[in-house]
Amino acid sequence: MSEPILELRGINKSFGPVHVLHDIDLVVNPGEVTALVGDNGAGKSTLVKCIAGIHPTDSGEVLFNGQPVQIRGPRDAADLGIEVVYQDLALADNLDIVQNMFLGRERTKAGLLDETDMEQAARKTLASLSVRTVKSVRTQVSSLSGGQRQTVAIAKAVLWNSKVVLLDEPTAALGVAQTRQVLDLVRRLAEQGLGVVLISHNMNDVFEVADRIACLYLGRMAAVVSSKEVTHGQVVELITAGRSGDLGIARPEAATI
Amino acid sequence: MTGPTSGTRPDEIRRHNRTALLRRLHVDGPSTRASLAAELGLNRSTIKALVDGLAEAGVVAERVPALRSGAGRPSLLVLPQPQAAVVIAIDVRVEHVAMGFVGLGGEILGRDSWNLHRTRDPGEVITHIVESARLMADDLDADAVGVGVSVPGVVRRADGHVHEAPNLHWTDVALGKRLEAVLKLPVQVGNDAELGALAEHVRGAAQASSDMVYISADVGVGGGVILSGQPLRGTGGYVGELGHMVVNPRGNRCYCGCDGCWETEVGEPALCRALGLPDDAPRGTVVAALRALDDPSVLDEFAGWLALGLANIVNVLGPELVVLGDLYTALPDAVVDSVSTAVQRRSLVSRAVGGTQVVTSPLGRDAKLVGAAELAFEPVLETL
Ligand SMILES: Nc1ncnc2c1ncn2[C@@H]1O[C@H](COP(=O)(O)OP(=O)(O)OP(=O)(O)O)[C@@H](O)[C@H]1O
Ligand SMILES: [Mg+2]
Ligand SMILES: [Zn+2]
Repeated sequence: MSEPILELRGINKSFGPVHVLHDIDLVVNPGEVTALVGDNGAGKSTLVKCIAGIHPTDSGEVLFNGQPVQIRGPRDAADLGIEVVYQDLALADNLDIVQNMFLGRERTKAGLLDETDMEQAARKTLASLSVRTVKSVRTQVSSLSGGQRQTVAIAKAVLWNSKVVLLDEPTAALGVAQTRQVLDLVRRLAEQGLGVVLISHNMNDVFEVADRIACLYLGRMAAVVSSKEVTHGQVVELITAGRSGDLGIARPEAATI
Repeated sequence: MTGPTSGTRPDEIRRHNRTALLRRLHVDGPSTRASLAAELGLNRSTIKALVDGLAEAGVVAERVPALRSGAGRPSLLVLPQPQAAVVIAIDVRVEHVAMGFVGLGGEILGRDSWNLHRTRDPGEVITHIVESARLMADDLDADAVGVGVSVPGVVRRADGHVHEAPNLHWTDVALGKRLEAVLKLPVQVGNDAELGALAEHVRGAAQASSDMVYISADVGVGGGVILSGQPLRGTGGYVGELGHMVVNPRGNRCYCGCDGCWETEVGEPALCRALGLPDDAPRGTVVAALRALDDPSVLDEFAGWLALGLANIVNVLGPELVVLGDLYTALPDAVVDSVSTAVQRRSLVSRAVGGTQVVTSPLGRDAKLVGAAELAFEPVLETL
């Protein structure tokens, strides 16, 4: 039986007087795509930033591989094997692909960067994903298309042998075909055994790629459902009303911020 | 390579040589004019004429190789141009459909895939394929020239009619005809394991083997066979149901009507049970469980059945190589090694040939997609 790779228990987070996340429980299983959905302001990005160590949580527990962990910053998250891909600020524009893939963790040989090694590893990683990217891994990121940039950002997770990848609206700025391409890559990452959390507002995309759907409503986890067992309509209801039939929060009207 | 017979007209000889050269570039990638001449047994002036013609048509490009070996004028490197011929490859699996636009030379130029969770209705699958094809064609600015489709079922090769694809719950689907009507392109449909074998033969573990068997598990189990370099096909093309070889008369009932088919012992649900997972666990979950396996002995029984079936197959078909594909590529090395050893010990054919090798596919999950692309390319290379 496979254990969850990442587990959140009772996470709370406030910004000053604003209570944004209420007692969030969430399990991320290896090999599954878990979609995280919710209306604007529901708390999706905040939750991802709490996991990534960008925001400290007020209370609650994070378990990685069954062990309680403290994630105090992006470095801690990366060390555990958690990679985060954001909508836009995923890469540094003024650097090339290799530099981006190694940013903050340059390989060193006797204290110096080993450029040849890094270049080879970057090239090998991109080839292993068999996606068409660019002619040279020395291309400046600023000259890549949106889809290529997200591919490079996601490839970092493979290069660093990450266990969990969190993607916060990775396709929001992309056209339809590029979106499909990135989602296909996301699906293939999961099929290699990684735990994937994908934030998206597009229900079609969610159903086409996700195994499970976690629905946030006003900062509360309304329900986590199997994408095989629910309809679009049910998920939309969970997002907009916190409840759909037997699913969801018992008294959503009592849920206030 | 069979040479043109005497009495052949010069343009037929040129056509034949052009196809041979294209196939060589498509399969093995960029080559120098000198090595093309040597490998195809043609003189340098013939190669020059062929390459010039192809370059003029935009099918290949030439450039000076980056790394020079030795002194003197370097032989020009001939590169196939992916955009010169693009095919659509479609891999219909039990839980997903994967699709790609594949260029001359085999590069995957664009991809799409989607869950088949809610519906496997053939009409809806076809509609989605057509939508995706339009999207990708626009995005890549590519006009596809052919289509190859892999289906986990019994397929009539002549017209791509799917008789039965039990795990998809498809019966008598005129997939080839229906796709041709909407895509307005030649469509070829093949059994998934047969196309996996083709992919391994052209681009994977079996490039140097002319007698090989490809076995794969994607929910069910299928096999593709290449003997003397040619795919083995029965009447109408119906061969490959190796998963329904009965190995355990006291075993579980199979949907095909028999008891104890090999598939019931070595299919994805059987592997899930051995790992303590639900029968229908997502693929990634199964892969993750195999990666994290502390105690490979939980797979002993599974590995025993795998070896038993493979020993039968090796005795009957006499391949030099068995390639395990798809889900089996995630099996721990120790398990594959033990299966390989058991097959060599039990199969007298294996012993006679000095040990049939059992290896996992380097193409992994993409084998059938790659095979579907090669199926589509076969007629294309002759007319380009
Ligand atoms: N740094 C911050 N300081 C104060 N309030 C914040 C901060 N970040 C987020 N919030 C508030 O927290 C709530 C949740 O925001 P969050 O960005 O997590 O929502 P979201 O679900 O990602 O929405 P969207 O779909 O629009 O991206 C909002 O009310 C937002 O205004
Ligand atoms: Mg957000
Ligand atoms: Zn059977």
